[in-house]
Amino acid sequence: MTSAVDEHAVLANTWGTPRGPLGWLTSVDHKSVGLRFIGTALFFLALGGVLALTMRTQLARPETHLLTPQLYNQFFSMHGTTMMFLFAVPAMMGLGIYLVPLMIGTRNVIFPRLLAYAYWVYLIGGLFLYSGLVTGNGAPAGWFSYTPLSETQFDPTKGSDIWAQTITFTEISMMAVAVTLIVTILKQRAPGMSLNRIPLFVWSILVTSFMVVFAMTTIATASFFLAADRLINTRFFDDARGGDALLWQHLFWLFGHPEVYIIFLPATGIVSHLVTTFSRRPMFGYTPIVFATIATGIISFGVWVHHMFATGLPQLGLGFYTASSLIVTIPTAIQLFCWIATLWSGQPQWRVPLLFVLGFFFILVRGGLTGVMLASVPFDLQAHDTYFVVGHLHDVLIGGAVFPLMGALLYWYPKATGRMPSEVAGRWAFGLLFIGQNLTFLPMHLLGLHGMPRRVYTYLASTGWGGLNLLETVGAYILALGVLVTVANLIVSRFTGPRAGNDPWGADTLEWATTSPPPPGNFAEIPVVMSRDPNWDPARPEDRPVVTGLPLDRRELLFTSALDATPVRRIELPGPTIWSLPAALGTAVGLIMLIFTPWGLVVGTLLAVPPLVVWAWPKHGGSA
Amino acid sequence: MARVNSVDVSALPREGFGVASPAWWGTIGFMVIEGSSLVLCAFAYAYLSRRSPMWPPSGIAPLRLGVGTLVAAAFLLSLVPAIMLHRAAKSLDRGVVLLMLLIGASIEAIIVGLRGYELHALPMRWDGTAYGSTVWFTMGLHTTLLVMDFGETLVFAALFLRGSVDKRHFADVADSVLYWFFVVLIWIPLYFMLYVAPRAL
Repeated sequence: MTSAVDEHAVLANTWGTPRGPLGWLTSVDHKSVGLRFIGTALFFLALGGVLALTMRTQLARPETHLLTPQLYNQFFSMHGTTMMFLFAVPAMMGLGIYLVPLMIGTRNVIFPRLLAYAYWVYLIGGLFLYSGLVTGNGAPAGWFSYTPLSETQFDPTKGSDIWAQTITFTEISMMAVAVTLIVTILKQRAPGMSLNRIPLFVWSILVTSFMVVFAMTTIATASFFLAADRLINTRFFDDARGGDALLWQHLFWLFGHPEVYIIFLPATGIVSHLVTTFSRRPMFGYTPIVFATIATGIISFGVWVHHMFATGLPQLGLGFYTASSLIVTIPTAIQLFCWIATLWSGQPQWRVPLLFVLGFFFILVRGGLTGVMLASVPFDLQAHDTYFVVGHLHDVLIGGAVFPLMGALLYWYPKATGRMPSEVAGRWAFGLLFIGQNLTFLPMHLLGLHGMPRRVYTYLASTGWGGLNLLETVGAYILALGVLVTVANLIVSRFTGPRAGNDPWGADTLEWATTSPPPPGNFAEIPVVMSRDPNWDPARPEDRPVVTGLPLDRRELLFTSALDATPVRRIELPGPTIWSLPAALGTAVGLIMLIFTPWGLVVGTLLAVPPLVVWAWPKHGGSA
Repeated sequence: MARVNSVDVSALPREGFGVASPAWWGTIGFMVIEGSSLVLCAFAYAYLSRRSPMWPPSGIAPLRLGVGTLVAAAFLLSLVPAIMLHRAAKSLDRGVVLLMLLIGASIEAIIVGLRGYELHALPMRWDGTAYGSTVWFTMGLHTTLLVMDFGETLVFAALFLRGSVDKRHFADVADSVLYWFFVVLIWIPLYFMLYVAPRAL
């Protein structure tokens, strides 16, 4: 029998990635790809944040002309596009890529090369969007790129083309990630991890991934229509030729509202873990939370028209969408009460990640309540396109997603790096973010009720909006400082943080059962799961059951049944490859060419398909 | 010392068909994504048709029913070798698989040619009206799926001609047949929507 040390060496050899630049370009390890997604998303958060701060600086005083009206349009369009497409979704999915295999007890995702491809496509797409801004072709028509504003008649630049193709880049990427995560979650869970034992974050990623598949298909198709209208003069949104500008709004919001929950649901998964760990007790109401997560995912596809209350749709339809928009709050409320019950009946430890959960409760509930107000047609018609809506949506998105994400970064930081983040810096960051959030976005509600419209590049002093706007700008800088302190904490603690050990928080899920950072292949031995909180099982770790008979010298893992996670077969995964990168570059060349000529479709296919065939050509392993 | 409740998986197979095959899941993923895209094209078609007093709009002839029906029939006919290929793949019969891959590739080549003619026979361009745009897009998107599957069939034929295949490749072939079923079966309602419904309604 080999010793444990030998086993680790063999595993590292089998599942490792080559060192140096080649390793960086060829890695198919879900941990490094996941961290890249998160790191890149934070980079885009910074860019989107700089755009926001510039806009806030412009609005701090009346009649300021730091930005021209045209540039201001591009800034708010790029800010929204960045935060939704390049930051929030990739950050959440990146967290899923990193954590899901660790939480379900497997060695990698099912399509690791596809995942690497998805990352490159995302990175290139994001940089491409910004190439537009620096060349005077920033997207000018809002993050939703409403037609006819985004049609060539009103936007003769390449801005809306670049916007549409950026959407295609990110959707290709996110759909590849979503399919990979769905199959991984359904088929690779450790033996014993039946459906009713799946960690809640994994549940949230599963539901989110299904939503991504359907929602992103919608926006990808719609943005293709838009790109075609602009490139080859199709008439989808041209009212004069039998098209309809409102068709765009339907398609966009059929994606756009689920998008909010695509960002929010993983955050609820994060909150469940933080609450469980720091309450020192299993989650109260696991099953209701799972059903609430699924219900939210389904209902979120039936509320999109509440974004279109002001477009003159039939009254009966509006009534239906008011009702559905109110109903979607019920599952969220169920989750909220379950978290509160868990904290109430547990022994809460007020460590920094849990503080972010409290911030989440406070701000999300406020955003939810203003959402209930906006779901009512008469109120919406008054507040539509005012700063009230801006305040509401930032409460929901920052309170509902960024706060949990910041908590998550600090909570799982020790797992990814082996070091603890600074508790003091974390508390400062939380304080700054919480104060900044409230100072920035609470006054927006008032300004909106006073009639300040959205998307104006400046305002007259006589409106009397100057004071609150100045307060908001101060708040925005405090908010930015909070993000900076968090990022600095993450960077500095990498070198100075105390060693974390495997399980510094005393948490319940499987990722804490392996070393920090986890080795290539994640686990020395694949665990067998006996309960919902496997790391809290009374048996000593070395006495817990494991999977035997899986060779360590090949990239083999276990395929299990979708419901009960009973072992079905063994699968051999492919190893590192360089071909994901040329495939992504080929895709990129095609998509970028498509802005100028329809031949981009042909060129892109010719460039992207050969690398795909080479990488998928069967050698040793089975799947992509 | 063996631990209590440990699970020995050394006897488990290293290959599997259907839900036990990663390629099956990948294929289902493709089908869902592309199927949703086609449903959205159909949604746009139906949505815009309700805004127009006439459909097709006045001045545009209806699509040529004969051509469309010929293509739809060719699609349905191609299911016969596809079903035989699926059976042969499941029973690991290399000879029949190769034969059916070659027959399938030939039929798909004919269908690609027919589809080219079908597009050529469309009585309007994509840039005249929104009607033309939706018809061209629906057919164009479906054509990319068709060409993609044709390419995949060629790759599998090359693989089986080279000879170095094992059990997993039979499962992959079976999954690719599943994709062909999808390409064929999703076209049938779209055929009715594009060719039959404007005449009947």
